[in-house]
Amino acid sequence: MSRALGWVLLVVPLLVALGGPLVAGSVDPVGAPSAPPGAGHPLGTDVLGRDVLAVVLSGGLSVVGFTAAALGLAYGVGVPVGLVAAGQRRVVDEVLMRGLDLVLAFPSLLVLMVLAATGHRGAVVLVFTAAAVQVPAVVRVVRAAALAPGCRVAVEALYLQGQSWWRIHVGYVARSALGPVATDAGTRVALVLGLVASANFLGLGLPSGSVDWAVVIDRNSDALDAQPAVVLVPSALLVGLCVGANLVADSVLGRGRRTG
Amino acid sequence: MPGYPARRLGLSAVQALVVLVATFGMTALLPGDASSVVLTEHAAPEDVAVVRARLGLDQPLTVRFGHWISGLFTGDLGESLVTALPVAEEIGRRLAATALLAGVTLLVLLPLALLVGVASGLREGSRVDRVLTSVAVLLHAVPEFVLGLLLVAGLAVHGGLFPATAAGVDLLARPEVLVLPVTVLVARQLCDLARQIRIGVAEHSAGEVAGHLRLLGLPEHAVVLRHVLPGASAPVVQQLARTVEGLLTGAVVVESLFAVPGLGTGFVEAVQNRDIPQIQGYVLVFAGVVVLGNLAADLVAHRLTPRRELVLR
Repeated sequence: MSRALGWVLLVVPLLVALGGPLVAGSVDPVGAPSAPPGAGHPLGTDVLGRDVLAVVLSGGLSVVGFTAAALGLAYGVGVPVGLVAAGQRRVVDEVLMRGLDLVLAFPSLLVLMVLAATGHRGAVVLVFTAAAVQVPAVVRVVRAAALAPGCRVAVEALYLQGQSWWRIHVGYVARSALGPVATDAGTRVALVLGLVASANFLGLGLPSGSVDWAVVIDRNSDALDAQPAVVLVPSALLVGLCVGANLVADSVLGRGRRTG
Repeated sequence: MPGYPARRLGLSAVQALVVLVATFGMTALLPGDASSVVLTEHAAPEDVAVVRARLGLDQPLTVRFGHWISGLFTGDLGESLVTALPVAEEIGRRLAATALLAGVTLLVLLPLALLVGVASGLREGSRVDRVLTSVAVLLHAVPEFVLGLLLVAGLAVHGGLFPATAAGVDLLARPEVLVLPVTVLVARQLCDLARQIRIGVAEHSAGEVAGHLRLLGLPEHAVVLRHVLPGASAPVVQQLARTVEGLLTGAVVVESLFAVPGLGTGFVEAVQNRDIPQIQGYVLVFAGVVVLGNLAADLVAHRLTPRRELVLR
């Protein structure tokens, strides 16, 4: 039941986000600002006089794309560093983990605000920062998951056979650690999604003329009374995305845990 | 090897040092320097020199750092580049609103999380447990600004039940403006805290000690209140530190959404104006709360589980 609901909640916004830009048409201003739904504009227009349907169809790609890029980067850096920390060198482990303890302490939205204040804002900064603030947590999870498999007899055997570092740590240890890391990734999707959207809502990422769902919600929140669709439709899509990702991750990974 | 409290204090001291250096270094991140925020692009070179002298930018970096640090110890955070008012005053004024918001939130959050956590933990896997856990997870997944706007759309604009904005309102005189912001913050933070309590309660309630006490005929409420909950408390205290962090970040979003005149809105405004001394002040306050909160949580959790010391040695 909750699994089916999760998939529906996740797939609908994903389809809108990925397929929408292909069918959206122009997002140039076409009429009076904040016009109610009517002929030619099934959802009306926003405060900039743009067709809301076209804006909503075009605005999901950045939300999904940024989240995917940030998660990819975070795991691309976090997994190798976590494996190194879980390796044989005690000193490397101590230095890495103490260093990350320092960084772990700072709330991610505040880091983005400071960067924005010093003139570092935009899509690239947003993606890299969202990724960077996840790295310490990812390293922690990977390290914890790789510690036990890294001490198994199989690893010693691989060493004695003269296998390469890559073969032992990526081929064997990383694969054994995959379960807990996948569980963590499931919960991290919603976390990064929320961070990216909140940053855009606060104006720390994309410019205010962007069609990004969060930016559109922010720009039109004052017109909630006159033109609710322009706030509620992207909000509903964002809620579906966040809740759906959570439910699907939970049910898919939960099933994996029970059988494996 | 020094004891755990000493080592933990050491970590906090290093963290504090990193915060201070990074906060001061922020001025170096600026393209140009702080005088470019005050002046326009077309300012005459003499004006630039005057402003740079007033802001102390003509002195070497080490001297400026020394001045800045010694100012901090006397509570002097510098002056705003925009209003020329002392930063400490502005932050002090806004601190009250955020403290009120966070305080009310914790007053609602803690009993609610205890109730949800204990109710679901004592009946692990039951229907009550599944429903409570699902609702908490769903609320947690929705970003604060979306949840807040949906509440405004449902309860403030059409229902007219609660005011949608706290702009220009005395929070203490009209406490109903706090209802929606507190609801959003509680909804978002409930999940993690309740989940920690649930896990601890489930574990200790099924443990040998609780089972033995029940066999001895101790009433259930005594078993839960005097034995299960204290046993579950150490991870909960540590989660509480995360919660305070979450409330701070959440406050930034929620305050700007509902126009509460607190630290969050002040921070967002300062970022928009690129008012560096103000931003430095806010960063110090936020980072200070985070570092001290984590320190307190770790030390309390350590006191609650003294056996860990023996295991770790």
